[in-house]
Amino acid sequence: MGILEEISLLLQNGKAKQVKELVSQALDEGVSAEEILQKGLLAGMDIIGEKFSKNEVYVPEVLVAARAMNWGAEVLKPHLADSGFKSKGRACVGTVKGDLHDIGKNLVKMMLEGKGFEVIDLGVDVPAEAFISAAAEHNCQIIACSALLTTTMGAMKEVVDAAKRSGIRDKVKILVGGAPINKEFCESIGADIYTSDAASAANEAVEALTSLVS
Amino acid sequence: MKKMRQSWKGVMSPRVRFNNQMHYLPFDRTVNMEFGYWSDNYETWSFFADNGIKNEKQADDFFSFEPPESVGGHYWLNPGFQYQVLSETNDKIISINSDGLINEAPKDGHSTIPRCIKSSVETPDDWKKVKKEKFLRDDPVRKPDVGALTAKFPADRDFPVGVNVGSMIGKTRDLLTLEGLSYAVADYPGMVEDMVETQCALVEDYLDAVLPHVQFDFASGWEDICCKNGPLISMDFFINAVVPRYKRIGEKLRSYGIDIWYTDCDGDVRPLLPYFLESGINCLFPYEVNSCAHPAELLGEYGKELRIMGGFDKMKMIEGKESIKKYMESIVPIVERGGYIPFCDHRCPPDVTAENYLYYLDLKKEMFGWIK
Repeated sequence: MGILEEISLLLQNGKAKQVKELVSQALDEGVSAEEILQKGLLAGMDIIGEKFSKNEVYVPEVLVAARAMNWGAEVLKPHLADSGFKSKGRACVGTVKGDLHDIGKNLVKMMLEGKGFEVIDLGVDVPAEAFISAAAEHNCQIIACSALLTTTMGAMKEVVDAAKRSGIRDKVKILVGGAPINKEFCESIGADIYTSDAASAANEAVEALTSLVS
Repeated sequence: MKKMRQSWKGVMSPRVRFNNQMHYLPFDRTVNMEFGYWSDNYETWSFFADNGIKNEKQADDFFSFEPPESVGGHYWLNPGFQYQVLSETNDKIISINSDGLINEAPKDGHSTIPRCIKSSVETPDDWKKVKKEKFLRDDPVRKPDVGALTAKFPADRDFPVGVNVGSMIGKTRDLLTLEGLSYAVADYPGMVEDMVETQCALVEDYLDAVLPHVQFDFASGWEDICCKNGPLISMDFFINAVVPRYKRIGEKLRSYGIDIWYTDCDGDVRPLLPYFLESGINCLFPYEVNSCAHPAELLGEYGKELRIMGGFDKMKMIEGKESIKKYMESIVPIVERGGYIPFCDHRCPPDVTAENYLYYLDLKKEMFGWIK
């Protein structure tokens, strides 16, 4: 087994310390930082994401795999910066106004990072205007809103409306998710993407980049 | 207090009704119960606000509900961590709660789940200290007053009573946080298993003390260890560390004739369900529809091995009367079959209007308050 495959496998098993060590070793052996990222870390997260979508693994496995990815990515960061590496896209994520429950939001963040996105994490209880100003400031292609509660899901429409008012609606895709959200709700408020799990959300975000470019 | 709704008529005692309904025997009507409300409902629903109804107990009396009671021991931290406000902003409070979690919550008190920032237990050394100080098996607070229990719950009573058997993994998650539990299972599986074992031993101590003296009708527990995407615990750990403890408790319960055991677990419980059933947990409560499936689907799949309490889709209650009626009709076969007690799937949220809630209650009585 090659070192990149080994990194991917260890990441899938959540072995953060070993991932970190092997990433350093791969760099020492002359493997480029971008190759380690793409074929080791992101490849491993891809497999975890796919398994998560198929209910072959669950949230705990995603969390430990994402931790391993982050530990590995920390080692790579300075090398990626030196090489002029560019992320696949930018997304800002947050829970909507009134909602403090951030597990879903954090999972989407991890999965987006696992797809090579640069993620601006706006945290919890985020007003609609804050999503819009962050998206404009960082040139985000994706705005991802999370809500756990039936009483806060309405705030997602405010994000869509604020995007229209500010003139950035055609430059971003708005992704919505959370326990009470479904496709019908997504359509009813004029958002672009709803998926039932974080891994599918990241896949759809990648697809959305293509449509924005075209 | 003037009651908003009177007790449903019946020809069986509440105890016989509950037991018959849960054992697929003939019953005169469904048990009339609900799981409760968000705190906002007590302010926004006029019939609560105008009548001074401020909590679940008062609401149960107000509507003449008949939820079965459960009693149990002290299986958790004693003493708990001291509640303390650590910092405040204009709209948020950061505090440490009795489980030692540092949480962020809104200051205006609106209903939401707080955001957990940090746990007080992260390493085996942290756990060792907490276990030594707060989980003493011989702590007097853990010793049941058997005399009081037998006096309150005589064998010939006419109402059902359950014994609470706590939580094997949900409270562990409360102590560690979801992320903390996931990392700890990966990094310190022995520590997490010891946490589960500690709680199991405390439950066993209580059961050994009370089961020979009090005749219980059912057992109840709490886990909340699933979300809409399935389990919040590693399946391997659940099967190898949690299930064996469930089995130990299940054996004790069965040896005293307790053959109904529900656990409170929201989310998509389907991956855990075969293991629940294998361990003796045979009833889901307050079964949540949106993150899982229509209750008829699971009852169809598992037959009379499984029971469900709850399972009335709150989203239909939000939608309005037509949706409520349609959903009520969809559960007729499973209510009639037995093994299913319908009520709102979790606490009723404030975006169900007061009018729709009363419509739901009255329709439930009309359709399932039969006396045959």
